[in-house]
Amino acid sequence: MPIGVYVCHCGLNIAGVLDMEELRTFAEKLPDVVVARDLQFSCSDIGQEQIQKDIAELKLDRVVVAACSPRLHEPTFRRAIYKAGLNPYMLEMANIREQCSWVHMDQPAMATQKAKDLIRMAVAKAALLTPLEPESIPVSKDVLAVGGGVAGIAAALDLADAGLHVFLVERRPTIGGYMALLTDVFPTNDCSICVLGPKMSEVFNHPDIALITYAEILGIEGSVGNFTVTGHRRARYVDEKLCKGCINECSAVCPVEVPSEYDFGIGKRKAIFVPYPQAVPLVACVDPKACIGCARCVEACPAKAVKLDQEAETFKLNVGAIVVATGWQPFDASRKEEFGFGRYRDVVTTLQMERMLNASGPTKGDVVRPSTGQIARSVAFLQCGGSRDATVGNIYCSRICCMASLKNAQLIKEKYPDTDVTIYYIDIRAAGESYEEFYVRAQKLGVNFVRARVSRIDQLDGDIYLIFEDTQSGEVKRVRYDLAVLSIGLEPDQNADVLGNLLGLSRRPDKFFEIAHPKMRPVEAHIDGVFIAGCASGPKEIPISIAQGSAAAAKAVRLLHSGELELEPTSAWVDPDLCVRCKLCMDVCPQKAISVKSPAYVDEAACKGCGSCTAACPADAIKMRLFSDEQIMAQVRAATEEKREFPLIVAFLCNWCSYGAADLAGTSRIQYPTNARNIRVMCSARVDPSFVLEALRRGADGVLIAGCRLGECHYRDGNYQALQRVNVLKEVLGKIGLDPGRVKIVWCAASEGEIYAKELREFIGELKAMGPIGSELKGSKKT
Amino acid sequence: MSFDLDEGFRQTVLQLAGSEVQTCIQCGTCSASCPTAHLMNPSIRKLIKLCLEGKKDEALMNDTIWLCTSCLLCTVRCPRGIRPKAVVSACKYLAEREGIKTKDAAYEQIFSKQIREYGRISELPLTGEFLLAYPQGMVQSMEMGLELVPKGKLGLGVERIQGREEVKRIMEELGK
Repeated sequence: MPIGVYVCHCGLNIAGVLDMEELRTFAEKLPDVVVARDLQFSCSDIGQEQIQKDIAELKLDRVVVAACSPRLHEPTFRRAIYKAGLNPYMLEMANIREQCSWVHMDQPAMATQKAKDLIRMAVAKAALLTPLEPESIPVSKDVLAVGGGVAGIAAALDLADAGLHVFLVERRPTIGGYMALLTDVFPTNDCSICVLGPKMSEVFNHPDIALITYAEILGIEGSVGNFTVTGHRRARYVDEKLCKGCINECSAVCPVEVPSEYDFGIGKRKAIFVPYPQAVPLVACVDPKACIGCARCVEACPAKAVKLDQEAETFKLNVGAIVVATGWQPFDASRKEEFGFGRYRDVVTTLQMERMLNASGPTKGDVVRPSTGQIARSVAFLQCGGSRDATVGNIYCSRICCMASLKNAQLIKEKYPDTDVTIYYIDIRAAGESYEEFYVRAQKLGVNFVRARVSRIDQLDGDIYLIFEDTQSGEVKRVRYDLAVLSIGLEPDQNADVLGNLLGLSRRPDKFFEIAHPKMRPVEAHIDGVFIAGCASGPKEIPISIAQGSAAAAKAVRLLHSGELELEPTSAWVDPDLCVRCKLCMDVCPQKAISVKSPAYVDEAACKGCGSCTAACPADAIKMRLFSDEQIMAQVRAATEEKREFPLIVAFLCNWCSYGAADLAGTSRIQYPTNARNIRVMCSARVDPSFVLEALRRGADGVLIAGCRLGECHYRDGNYQALQRVNVLKEVLGKIGLDPGRVKIVWCAASEGEIYAKELREFIGELKAMGPIGSELKGSKKT
Repeated sequence: MSFDLDEGFRQTVLQLAGSEVQTCIQCGTCSASCPTAHLMNPSIRKLIKLCLEGKKDEALMNDTIWLCTSCLLCTVRCPRGIRPKAVVSACKYLAEREGIKTKDAAYEQIFSKQIREYGRISELPLTGEFLLAYPQGMVQSMEMGLELVPKGKLGLGVERIQGREEVKRIMEELGK
């Protein structure tokens, strides 16, 4: 296996510190190396051409470039050797710039020594590289959107307009979500259903959207590109094709009246009903819990659409991606017992107020006291009902309630200028385009603001009283109102639990679905091919939900538009003969890519190549195609072949954060000692305890493992797994008489070059105090 | 922020009452829940603010901390999970440690002393001893007392319980 080694000067960036000729002659003598050259700029056309020429003339089958960080130019050199006919994965880089010449500028001799080790490690790894072929799999160009609220509607329309076929699955009999039930919406006070209604119809009429309402997802199998989804449509006891949506004929004869969930209990509906006049599909639905089976509706229906013997249907879909837009559910106001919701009739929630203000709602737009039916002459809004409240376990701010109350207060003031409208608030949160102006508008309309969190509501002789401390005057007051509106917050929809479990989505402490990165990947789930939009990932306003729906659609289009998916060949694979079916790999896999159907099986489309399973496998049955055990072990052995430094540290750095931090220390020219020999791994969880033990056995004085900061792992929780393994390792070291401090795990973000340097300096200091490896063993024998 | 911030005092209160006190948002739920809020100045909400600002004298030299009935409604309702009652207890403890004498603190002392000695309190000796130390309002108290005696609502002598030694031991263990 002829290997070519190219040592890059990078102008004076490397050559200004390191002895290039010494490195070149050193490399030349390494095993399997047939040519070693120093190049002025290896990434330049001239440099690349030299490498390509050698590949052709000397029949090189693998190449080592000792230059800058692989995070910078690995793609460049992979392309270069690919053009010369080599497999692009037959390349290894030694980082002698960011992690050597730039950080050891005043110790050229030691730096050159370190660079030699880095080149030796790269050559040792290169000898074990195998050609990898990126595999392409055909993918389904269909997409499943779950949830027909405004976010799901936005996603479905954008996807369908982009030419993908969409299945929009909605749990209720109509799409539209909560937005369809609101009255006017902030900050422009335009009518909610007037702007949403056309979109709902568009969904219904779009040739590329299959609308599946009154349905639930029951099973999901497969992975990105090829999910198999099963579910069932509940019986609505009305034939969708026959029903004309005339609304009244059937429900007019129905003798059963129950509180309407679409009016949040303040209005009524019949047992056979259309949720609201703008419902999509405009098809009646029988509530089997309320229906007494009198069949009057069957007779009354002119289209003969009512079918009381209808049964639930199952469906099966094959889709390439899934958009989760399952939305939210209102906080249950009766949990705040001190406000008396459910006991005092004149205490209502924001959503009930929305329905009252709605011209097509149960009161036809009148704001009334439910206890008397009279117009309310004084209305209090109580902010933070179930939000920012540790007593109900919701620490978070629900983000929309301040604006919703400001809006409803304005609407009341506009309709009834003499009504006393007061908002009780802790902080008014009006952060958004035109939101503060909206707050000012409410003030100018004469809405009162009292900075207080109401402690309780009392009812006396049919009147309700708020008890609160006006924190600006310090007075504790008791004030009577006709109507109190609890500004209830948003909680994740419990009905989405099934879907979340089927997909393996994780949840934040606030119980909303967690996105792949809290800032940089706002609509992606941890699971490939799954996107989250709208309130499923936290409370959001309408425009942001729409933006997220569109963003999720764009991500799904990007993923599926070509009809095939190229898989990074960096995945794990299982040797079925070695697998002992312990299922450890299944537990540690952040992608849920492994199933253990005797023996374990890795879905390579879902695998992201973190390598935690390989480190966890007690039988070494799971292997990595890149960053294999053998390759990393070879690097460890090469790093410890010649020990010319004390303390000698073998450092494992995760590709995403700590390797980036070490690179950044270089670009920032932060100087630190030369003791570490760095090995790049995809995740700190890749570090197999056997690597650490081998390094120490071969004379390394310490082993450093660096990962992303806790909670910021790019594979969700790999760094926690690494931490757990290091803790076990420390115990093992202690038992065999070595100082447990010889293995250390640290966290640094890619922006924390200074922290990486500091941690390394500290570790060097600690190891100096311990003395060379094994000195503690001699000490214990004496005593 | 106050310039005479007594960081040591602030830290001691946080140690005694819990570090979550720092997360107070001054919403007033505690004061509005408090059955004796109308008698208090500063209110419970303000007391927490004073502690966080390190205003030791203002936090310890007031009647508020002695008027707390320990009903714990503030603690049940606080949306931040703070225990305002624990702040009151911390202030009481620190006031005693500092030897701060207020009318209510003196009343508590006399009250505890009687429990320690007799195993219970007796109305007249308790009121009498307190009025000797703080004679304001003595006339009104005596007028009310004269009304109560004929109705048998005011015991005149000192009553003692059995097992006073037990009570004394309990009080000593509690450090009273």
